[in-house]
Formats: sequence, C-alpha cells, structure tokens
Amino acid sequence: MPNHVAIILDGNRRWAKKRGLGALDGHESGGRRVIELAMDFFATGINIVSLFAFSTENWGRPEDEVNYLMAMFEKNFKAEISSFQRYKVKISVIGSRVNIPESLLHSIQEAEEATKSYTERQLLMAIDYSGRFDILQACKSLAEKAKNGVIQVEDINEKIMEKELMTNCSEFPNPDLLIRTSGEQRISNFFLWQSAYTELYFPNVLWPDYDKAEYMKALTWYQQRNRRFGRRV
Amino acid sequence: MDLKQSMLLLSSWIAQIGDVGLDLLWRFVHIVVSLWYIFSGIFEAIESYAISLGLIKKYSSINFEKLRCLAVVVDIEEARDVVNVIDLLQWLTTIGVNQVGLFDTQGLLKKCKDLILETVPGSMLLEETGEKDLLPDRKRIALEFISSSDNKEAVVKAANILLQRYLKSSHPEKEKGDDFFTEPHLNEALRVVGENVQPPDLLLVYGPIRSHLGFPAWRLRYTEIVHMGSLKYMRYGSLLKAIHKFTGVHQNYGT
Repeated sequence: MPNHVAIILDGNRRWAKKRGLGALDGHESGGRRVIELAMDFFATGINIVSLFAFSTENWGRPEDEVNYLMAMFEKNFKAEISSFQRYKVKISVIGSRVNIPESLLHSIQEAEEATKSYTERQLLMAIDYSGRFDILQACKSLAEKAKNGVIQVEDINEKIMEKELMTNCSEFPNPDLLIRTSGEQRISNFFLWQSAYTELYFPNVLWPDYDKAEYMKALTWYQQRNRRFGRRV
Repeated sequence: MDLKQSMLLLSSWIAQIGDVGLDLLWRFVHIVVSLWYIFSGIFEAIESYAISLGLIKKYSSINFEKLRCLAVVVDIEEARDVVNVIDLLQWLTTIGVNQVGLFDTQGLLKKCKDLILETVPGSMLLEETGEKDLLPDRKRIALEFISSSDNKEAVVKAANILLQRYLKSSHPEKEKGDDFFTEPHLNEALRVVGENVQPPDLLLVYGPIRSHLGFPAWRLRYTEIVHMGSLKYMRYGSLLKAIHKFTGVHQNYGT
C-alpha cells in the first residue's frame, strides 16, 4: 500500500452543470465526500492523505463561490474535529494563511491543536496552496536562516531545501500516489517538488462521483506498478 | 474443553476463514482490473493502427497553435535504446512538432546529443535556434536535452543566487523576502544558471512508470501529462492521438 496518497479534488462544477445545478451545489456534494473518503483510505492502511482543496489560483473564481468554499471548510473542520479525534487523525493545513478569513483560520488552528499529538495518521489539507509558492517560501525561510547565521548559503542543498517545504510537517512528504479526478491530466501546481516519482492516476470520474469502488481501483492500479525511483533495476 | 475455549477456537477459525476470504476477494479484484487493462490495451492497439493508416479522418490534421513546446520523458532503461528515441523524434518532425524537450533522469540522452542531432533530419539545439528556424513550413525541430540535474539541483542553485542578492541588499534586516523571492525572480535566476523556464504544454511519458520522473518541477505547473507506455512498443497512431487529444483540452487555470 502507498504510505502517502494525494488527491486533487476536481470536477465539482462540471458535476453540477451536468445535473443543471449551480457550482455551489457541486461543491456541497463534493465536500460531503472529502472526509469520508479520507477515512476510507486510512482504513486500508494508508498513513497520510493529502487533499488539494483550494489552490492559490482559485482566488480568481467568483466571490460567492470563494466565500462558499471558505465557509464550507470552516463548517467541516468544526463538525469533524470529534471524528478526527476518534480516529486519531492529525490535521495539518498547508498553504499561505495570509488571505484566509479569520474565522476559518481559527477553526484550522483548533483542529490542528486538538489533533497534534496523533502520529499514525495524518490528513494534509492544502488550502491556498501552490507548488511554486511552496518552493519560494522555502527559499525565503532559508534566506532568513542564512541572515540569522543559522545556516551558511554554501551548505544549502536539495535535502535542506526539502526540509523547508510545507510538507515538512509530514513523515512521508512525497506522495506515492497522486489521484486527480475528472479526467484532467495535469498536476496544476500541486506538489511540484514532491511529486518527482509519484505515480499519477487520472480517473475519468468527477469528484462527487468518486466512491469506494473508484478508490479500490486506484489502489489496485497502484499495486500493479513497478517503482524504481529513476534508478536502474 | 470447556465452553470458553470452544468459543475462542471457533472465533479463531472464523477470523482465519475471513482473512482467506478477503485475500481471495482482493485477488479477484486484481484479476478483474488486469483483464480490463488487457482488453483496453488491445482496443488501443487496433485504434492506433487505424489512425496510422489514415482511416480515422479527425486525426489527419492537427492545429499546433496550442502546442508550442512538447516534452518527452523517457524511462532510464528505455533511454538506452537511442534508436527508438530517434524514431520518435522523426515521427514528431513528420507530424509538425517543432520544439521538443527530451528528459531522462541520468542524462543518457544528453550524452547521445550529437548522435541524435546528426541523425534526426532538421534537428538543432534549442539554444541555437532563432524564431525563423521554427516557422511551420521549415520542418525543423528544436531539441532541448534535460536531466535530473536541471530539476531540484538547478532550483537550489537559482535559490542560492536569490539568497546572495538578499543578503547583499543594503538593509537585509528591513528588506522583506517578498521583494526578492517571487516567481519572476526565480525564473530569472534559473535562466542565469542556464535553465530553460518555458513550461511544456504537453509531456509524454515513455516507460513503465506513470510519473514525470523528476522532470523540472518548476516548469510543470499546468502541463498536460500523458503516459504513452513503453518506447519499445510505441505507435505512430497513439502519438498522433495523444497530440490531437491535447489540442482539444480546455484549461481554466484554477479560476
């Protein structure tokens, strides 16, 4: 089984459009599946599940849609804290927190605080995340450390850089399997650095329709791969 | 044996039977999925031959407006067979693609650069091309040779340039990192260390693994990634289909 599965939750709006519904209905339907599916993955023995819930580019969407998504995230964090605690799932939110509404930020901090002691399972929620931003903030963090004399510039290498990425909160920062629903075959600025040897799986299923059968198919597919991490066999 | 022991033994048997049952079910799921892939592979092979023979009209002309830069990732084992890579490049030239980035993790294709440039008609190094060289009617193909050293190692080198600038700035304690560490800054620093920052529109992966194998991460933001299977069994029809499918993709870039 993979240690770390990452999921790009794509297709809510297309799902709604197919049914003659509004985009917000699509997000509501998709939102209901998120935590449930993450728990299903944990039940199969996966340690870390990362969800690309909101990208930096998503701020360009209509204001009512963005506000709805922020409110939905806040509601889910509050509603699911007890589930996270019951199943001992550590919650970590990665992304820039500069533009996130205060109330959502507070819910995030509460969820992270309430689950920080758990070590076996982790749910990484990427909100206002961008792979390029991740690399740039790692550079900034290293610059601060170099300025303060904590490290020398000439000592900076790939490993040191990786420790500054936002996924440094995780025991397995590089996903083994990345699933993007809806059939689109791009990683869209998610985990650019971390996905070098990640198996990419692009099922042609919209996120609200992604059910247990689909995730079993993904895991079966993954088990049939032969991973060599770029080395000779 | 008392009742309690009997119950324990019975529950142990039930648990073992349950485990065997689950194992069999999982194997059955594997068989079903494998069969599905076998049949879809057969269908794709037939379709590919039909496309190669020109029997499917929609693939006979391709609009290259959206495909300015194509990248090809080749698994290291498959990169050893340079003849297949050369055949692929000749097909791409025939189709009308005029800029290709060739990537393998260990730079084998970089080492065979001269052979490839001599053998593929109309090929030239990307850094030596001018705009006129890549006009559609000129049947030229600009090649870029990329390896893992152009990925994370290059980003670290570029980051070091930005770090040095930041530390040398007149008031480092007052300067915010935001003024030094932006995407345009990192793009510029990557160019300084000799890297191409142009994102490929489409990335074709040849090999057993469905992964981009460490292709320069900074460039992959919105790149379409298509797994093509083994280079040994590559088909002209499949290549044409992948490129044609890409030209129909609509991206909203997250908005």
